Amino acid sequence: MALLEVRGLVKRFLGIVAVNGVDLDVRRGELVSLIGPNGSGKTTLFNCVTGFLGADGGRVRFRDDDVTNAAPHRIARLGLGRTFQQVSVFGRLSARDNLIVFLQQHQEERWLARLVRTPRLRRLEKEAVARAHALLDLVGLGEKADAPAGSLSYGQRKLLAFAAALMPDPELILLDEPAAAVNPTMINQMKEHIRALHRQGKTVLLVEHNMDVVMDISQRVVVLDHGQKIAEGPPDVIRRDPAVIEAYFGR
Amino acid sequence: MGRLTAVPLVAVALAAPWLVALIAPGQQRYIVHVLIYTALFAALALSYDLVVGHVGSLSLAHPAFFGAGAYTAAILATRAGWPFLADVAGAVLVAGVLAAVAGVPLFRLTEHAFAVGTLGFAVVAWIVATNWVEVTRGPLCITGIPKPVTTLPAWYGVALAALGVVLVLYLGMTTFRLGRALHAVRDNEPLAAAAAINPLRYRRLAFAVGGALAGGIGALYAHYLSVFCPEEMTMALTVNLLVILFLGGVGSLRGVLVGAVLFTALPEVLRLAPTWRLVIYGALLLVIVVRSPEGLEGLFRRRAGAR
Repeated sequence: MALLEVRGLVKRFLGIVAVNGVDLDVRRGELVSLIGPNGSGKTTLFNCVTGFLGADGGRVRFRDDDVTNAAPHRIARLGLGRTFQQVSVFGRLSARDNLIVFLQQHQEERWLARLVRTPRLRRLEKEAVARAHALLDLVGLGEKADAPAGSLSYGQRKLLAFAAALMPDPELILLDEPAAAVNPTMINQMKEHIRALHRQGKTVLLVEHNMDVVMDISQRVVVLDHGQKIAEGPPDVIRRDPAVIEAYFGR
Repeated sequence: MGRLTAVPLVAVALAAPWLVALIAPGQQRYIVHVLIYTALFAALALSYDLVVGHVGSLSLAHPAFFGAGAYTAAILATRAGWPFLADVAGAVLVAGVLAAVAGVPLFRLTEHAFAVGTLGFAVVAWIVATNWVEVTRGPLCITGIPKPVTTLPAWYGVALAALGVVLVLYLGMTTFRLGRALHAVRDNEPLAAAAAINPLRYRRLAFAVGGALAGGIGALYAHYLSVFCPEEMTMALTVNLLVILFLGGVGSLRGVLVGAVLFTALPEVLRLAPTWRLVIYGALLLVIVVRSPEGLEGLFRRRAGAR
């Protein structure tokens, strides 16, 4: 069975159908890309899957749980990580804390009990700090650990957000345009990071506009247009698909 | 605040009544009274900062919890004859439960709507206190609230102890894992949800703890003055707290403490007439908001950074 299973998902905004009965499967270990022209419903689909938008119809299953319209923090807790299209960090937290906060909820879910620094909490904190430093080093932000995330450059924040999503080692990671609005060097860097995740056996669902990135790294591509799935298949098939070419370039 | 600066500060705070006796023997009673007031206000401002500064919810409901605590303690002490510590504990509990329950509908609102909703709540609480005469005696005030200690230096000790308790809780709430979760919710709510944090739970937690502590301070305040009136829980209290927070430094322990000292003790010591005080507060608020939006704390940090 698929790790993520979307069936007949529908989302309307004030009568406009943004997502219209989309089916989507992502199997364990796959790297799948979701593409489509602007306004085709990719990010809306993402937001419905992760609980940030309520779906108007259809079902979403993640692992063995029905997560249709579940709260976003619950879905995240089940092991579905995501990044946001607009660069999104906790501006006043340090880069290190930006990462730790993504792990602590998965380590323990005490809330008021955290007032007391028990030995167990200290040990978990130590583990979290170590993992945060490892991931900061991985994305080349090792020296910025103490800097407030709000003081980082756009590209650095993008890398930080990516590293944060990796902190809890999610079963499935949804990346919303990781290569958008960054320079070519960083696009390649991102591509390598994503490829590395895939090699480690992680499951990745990618929304991306940059066709080079998508065609280069995806195993399978799903194409949306006007909220509907118009094609699905390996990159070289999608590249030649007449429906896809029409959606992108018009007749 | 570094440990090295904190130690002498605590020492000065503890020795203050005796220092005052040395420096201004004729004025001791008055100055110690101002110190008690300052300590209570600092504690109240810290409890308010848990909500405004650390989860970023601009609540205007704080006087309601302050008043609920004050009335609970006053009624338990005068009518039921409860001992001091028991009625203060009752006040903390009642105000905390009130804040926890009120937080459920109030946090369905966000940002401006939340501020207006909490303002409405505070106004309703004030109207209830004014008109529910059988319980609160309304404008006649509850009088004769017993004083557990009678000398001013002893009261100063009580106020400092209360400030100490609030301070410890404030530090516990705003550092380490709990503080990190609260700050994540404040900085970016959707991202916090993506980090598996339930934003509402942490907002309500800060609101309930802030409310409970405000109730405890209200109880001490009522005991100290031995009288409590509905006017103590109007918008004026919120304005005072906002001035302390925003001029001192929202979300910063040092900023809030400096703000509390400056805007409780100084106006008293300078014997400012209440009308002039408002004019000066207004002017200062404008200057600080324009010149240093992070309050005095922002100025401290910039000076420290420039060095």
